[in-house]
Amino acid sequence: MALIEVKDLSAGYGNGDVLENISFSLKAGEFLSILGRNGSGKSTLIKALQGLLKNVSGQITVDGEDILSLKARQLAKKIAYVPQIFSFSFEFSVMETILMGRYIHQGRLGSISSSDSRMVEEVISLTQIDHLKDKKIAHLSGGERQRVFIARALAQDTPFLFLDEPSSHLDISYQVEIYQILKHLQEEKGKTILTTEHNINLVIPYSQRLMFLKEGKISALGEPEKLITKENIKDVFDADVEIRENIHSKLPEISLIPKKGEKS
Amino acid sequence: MKSRVKKLRLLLVLLILLVAGFLISLLEGPVETNFNDLWNLIINNDSTFRTIFIDLRLSRALLAFLVGASLSLSGAILQGYFQNPMAGPFVVGVSSGASFGAVLCIYLGLNIRIIGFSIQSMFAFASGFAIVSLVYLLSQRKGVFKVETLLLTGIAAGALASALTSFLIFLKADSFEQAVFWLLGSFALSDWNQITAVAPYFFLCFIIAQSLAKDMNLLVLGDDVAQSLGCPVKSVRKIFLAISTFLAASSVSVSGIIGFVGLIVPHGIRILIGPDHKHLFFFSSLTGGIVLLYSDFLARTILQGELPIGIITAIVGAPFFIYLLSQRR
Repeated sequence: MALIEVKDLSAGYGNGDVLENISFSLKAGEFLSILGRNGSGKSTLIKALQGLLKNVSGQITVDGEDILSLKARQLAKKIAYVPQIFSFSFEFSVMETILMGRYIHQGRLGSISSSDSRMVEEVISLTQIDHLKDKKIAHLSGGERQRVFIARALAQDTPFLFLDEPSSHLDISYQVEIYQILKHLQEEKGKTILTTEHNINLVIPYSQRLMFLKEGKISALGEPEKLITKENIKDVFDADVEIRENIHSKLPEISLIPKKGEKS
Repeated sequence: MKSRVKKLRLLLVLLILLVAGFLISLLEGPVETNFNDLWNLIINNDSTFRTIFIDLRLSRALLAFLVGASLSLSGAILQGYFQNPMAGPFVVGVSSGASFGAVLCIYLGLNIRIIGFSIQSMFAFASGFAIVSLVYLLSQRKGVFKVETLLLTGIAAGALASALTSFLIFLKADSFEQAVFWLLGSFALSDWNQITAVAPYFFLCFIIAQSLAKDMNLLVLGDDVAQSLGCPVKSVRKIFLAISTFLAASSVSVSGIIGFVGLIVPHGIRILIGPDHKHLFFFSSLTGGIVLLYSDFLARTILQGELPIGIITAIVGAPFFIYLLSQRR
């Protein structure tokens, strides 16, 4: 049973803690989205959960094992990571990029095995990027690139999939498309998914649970129906909103209130 | 596979250039020689021609090739290491640092070998390593390298090392030629001893680099991403920094500073065959060797006397470097 447990986690980059006393668990097969303002510690948390930070106190276990005791290779067999979109100095092709996800399954000097090719074919069709195979990453649009990185993470063949703001810099059509793919992966492939996100309304229909982070602490954690309240949004984001029901999902969603008397 | 054909074609062209380069290097020199003389050597083992062809010209051509290969491999590694195609042993100051170490060793009059390593190359390695570590620490911010900071710290550190090198040389007043040798590079003093001082390390470093080529492909994506894909980032980084410095240091200790090869060759090869280090290391080494083979040929034939080879590589390399800078988005 895949499970991540976090106890009293405090973490930072060496100049004071960004995260303080974080405790929660990520259950097998669930979809959890972390929301919060810029600088609230979302990205820091997703990094800490993968053992990427040095200044950590508290404990993080994956399937009962302390992540700091695991080697990069062992951890990469459990958790795959899709970082925020970044720019590149090196022009790898889509195919080369996806094959990087097979690193842990290949030997250092080994070449592409039949199980590697099978996996690569499968993730290419799952993320619908067949037509992009031979292109260079640098020549793709944001949405295409994001799908390639998701494909690479899937090629890693792990139970956990972490994504850092997968919808940032994307057009709204791509934003929904990415979350549709993630939902499919959760339901059909049994992946446990953790994302950080800015766009609150986007994640509500896809997430079983939401986590609100405020100044490095968990301010609320639970089902979207319970968490999406005027008071919570005011507290976490310092924004005045109305809550209404989405006519399609029947789930709550936020509606921004333009401030009166101020020019936009 | 289109890219496979491309690589094979490039390999074929390089091999032809390699053979031709060795041939002209053997045939051209202060003593006039032709094909028949070379044939004479092969058939009759004539001792005069043996000295000219084998001990003078072949050793020099081989040394130029090995140094070119070492510098380019070092550059290919450093570019991956700094996640930046503008890096190179000269640009990040390793070459100047290593040169300082070698000259300091000569100044102190040290000339011993410890378990096969000459003390001079150890000094070169140590000071080259100190410079590159300094540049690494100064140009890194939160795990990312900014190209501007990298280039500026590299240039500053390199200038400092070169100034100290010049200072040591001029303390010994009589050695203008030495200064030219260490600061602009030359193969004029080549012999078989120097080849044995470079060749084993080149092949050893090449094998190590090649076996970690997949790891380098991940490293260029950034440490966090590389680690999340399963790469043991810390140890791989240490190994790469050590071998790239070692390659540059062993080159510098036999031939002085030869700039720009280590920057431009891997950069050009990446444009031709893509960034996959499984192929990049090999093609950069081969091409770098060929480039210095021809550069040395020019250095000793353009004028009556010898021209420092660093002048040739800088005249070709510096404008190319400026072109690359202007191409950045």
